Amino acid sequence: MFGKKSGSGKKFQHNTAGYLFISPWLIGFLLLTLWPILQSLYLSFTEYSLLDSPVWIGTENYSNILSDKLFVKSLIVTFTFVLFAVPIKMMFSLLVAMLLNKNVKGMSIYRTLIYFPSLIGGSIAVAALWRNMFGLEGYINHILGWFGIQGVGWIANPDTALGTLILLNTWQFGSTMVIFLAGLKQIPKDLYESASVDGAGVFRKFYSITLPMLSPVIFFNLVLGIINAFQMFTSAFVITGGGPANSTYMYVLFLYEKAFKQYQMGYASSLAWILLLIIGVFTLINFTVSKYWVHYESEGGKSN
Amino acid sequence: MKKTRPWLKTLAVGALASVLVLSGCNAGNSGSGSSDKAANLKIMWWGSDVRHEATQKALDMYTAANPKVTFAPEFTAWDGYWQKLPTLAASKTLPDIMQMDAAYIQGYVKRGLLADLSDIDLSGIVDEQVIDNIKIDGKVYGVPLSYNGQGMVYDKVALEEAGITLPTNNWTWEDFFAYAEEARTKLPKDKYPIDDLRNIWEWYQFYQTSKGLGPIFKDGTTFNLDKDTWFEFNSKYAEFQKAGIVPPADLQLTSKENDPQTDTFGTGRVMLRGASVGSATAIEALLPGGRIAVNSYPIGEAGGGWAQSTIFFSVSAASKNQAQAKEFIKWFISNAEAGKTLGTVRGIPINNDILKSIESSFTAGEQLGIDLLGVAKEKALPFYPAPAGAEDFVSTYKSEMESVMFNKTTLEQAYETLVEKGKAAEAKLK
Repeated sequence: MFGKKSGSGKKFQHNTAGYLFISPWLIGFLLLTLWPILQSLYLSFTEYSLLDSPVWIGTENYSNILSDKLFVKSLIVTFTFVLFAVPIKMMFSLLVAMLLNKNVKGMSIYRTLIYFPSLIGGSIAVAALWRNMFGLEGYINHILGWFGIQGVGWIANPDTALGTLILLNTWQFGSTMVIFLAGLKQIPKDLYESASVDGAGVFRKFYSITLPMLSPVIFFNLVLGIINAFQMFTSAFVITGGGPANSTYMYVLFLYEKAFKQYQMGYASSLAWILLLIIGVFTLINFTVSKYWVHYESEGGKSN
Repeated sequence: MKKTRPWLKTLAVGALASVLVLSGCNAGNSGSGSSDKAANLKIMWWGSDVRHEATQKALDMYTAANPKVTFAPEFTAWDGYWQKLPTLAASKTLPDIMQMDAAYIQGYVKRGLLADLSDIDLSGIVDEQVIDNIKIDGKVYGVPLSYNGQGMVYDKVALEEAGITLPTNNWTWEDFFAYAEEARTKLPKDKYPIDDLRNIWEWYQFYQTSKGLGPIFKDGTTFNLDKDTWFEFNSKYAEFQKAGIVPPADLQLTSKENDPQTDTFGTGRVMLRGASVGSATAIEALLPGGRIAVNSYPIGEAGGGWAQSTIFFSVSAASKNQAQAKEFIKWFISNAEAGKTLGTVRGIPINNDILKSIESSFTAGEQLGIDLLGVAKEKALPFYPAPAGAEDFVSTYKSEMESVMFNKTTLEQAYETLVEKGKAAEAKLK
């Protein structure tokens, strides 16, 4: 009896030490992540202007959101953005990664140079620069002028503004590219060699070796890319401010304006939870579909 | 060493934490009501670097004269300020003294966050009438710091070169439109007489109020968009857009006010535009060398434009140091030395004695501000900010009218959307 008790005491002490060691992270998680998340879930059922205390209004926020034209508009804009930005960025970064995978002298310098924009890519400074470049009297129209083309105000025109933002997003391809490059380096060279012996051309090798072998990496980039694209904010906020005529009114920008311009924290919290739901659904779909096209080497003989 | 018990540590940490909490409480309670006690005043304002430096100097001067009162200043740019302040209000930690703007003060007063400052004796410092103008429910919640107002500026040199009849003070909206039509025939093709400000709700509101029809939100509650006037105004601009009297929509929307790269007026694309006293220095910097002349807003039977104070110092209703805060605010706008240090960093000083004492050293930009105020004052209407709760209407107005400017929506559709949003705002305001 006595021995058993001391044993459990020891176990208790053992666990305490463990908890103590992870406590900095644990406290950070509980206080700075879990608590605000729960708080926002609660707030999403309230009307809260920050200046008054929150008032419980049940699911009114959610039903209001569903009939809000701006909500629909921002969803359309965001989905359009995701639909174009994610594939274009992935194709472009895969292309660059394949170019950088060649054995050329001084390749590491090229790699550094090409990765460089990504270090500053997401920043406000670049967004501001982009705004000037694509302005009516910006650099881009200046170059077009050499060829006698009369440019438009790319970011001030509702027909071209979103395209400009997609272009900027594509240009920030660095981290996706690096992950692709790492994936390419892992593909065994002998696969390509034996394919060459069998007489396969460049495209055949790409479709039959590179893509299947790279599919886990593509999948990873796709999931992250979609999540990031849904949360796109900085460039829309700095370059266009959601305008002109709401043509770049991203979902997160909508959320931000509800929260900090119109002080409707409850409404904004509901929007955040809906976004979480949307992203969750998309990720789930991604994982379900991934069975059919993602191949893991460890699964060996499994083939489609 | 091995015997160290974890709970002992926990206890120690806990004790330490509670000491911190207790001392925190103490700090919060140390100030009291009477003004001769020591106090550390939290003070917050928005503005530019020039304003930050001058204000900090003034705070140091006050502490030097009243060693018991020290300051914990905090300052940001405009945007960040209005995000931070509500967050502080939510956590019940508003600073003792905060700079307030006419567009926001009502929302804060409505929620009981600001202290009544009616008992500060401002006679001989601020004009009676100025104070009457800024009273909310008969009480003063913000002490005005400067004069502000809205007039117009135009590029006198360019208009004279083109042989265009110059605008005159107290011209009517008809005169204003006639000027635009005349100037179009005489200006080079890539220059425009006026801006296309259909997407700025205030610009239309100026038109409506000048005709005596009241602001879009009457008494801050009733939705009051006059249909006929609104259609008349926007049809005029649609005509102007077709005739090239206003810039094309994409050029117009590229313009950022007072940005030397894109501002249509600053880059010499547009000849005439509205300008507030507060932005005079920035505008003068865009077209320096005395090119700019001032003019009043177009007026109607009720008047036009506005002139009144829009920047205030308010005191938190929860502040423990209200007496000291009030005393400081009075000093801030009446002390001659402070006035010299502060100059015009918050606009034209509200105290006429101080204004006189610094007048001689005015720069061209500051002088432009004085001139603007001069022309704005005569026929000025009250300043009508959007009431707290109409934010959705305001942002919808902008995006809908941008759609109209790009011919993506008809005026009728836009009107319907606006009425819907206006009614929704009205329901909230009542």
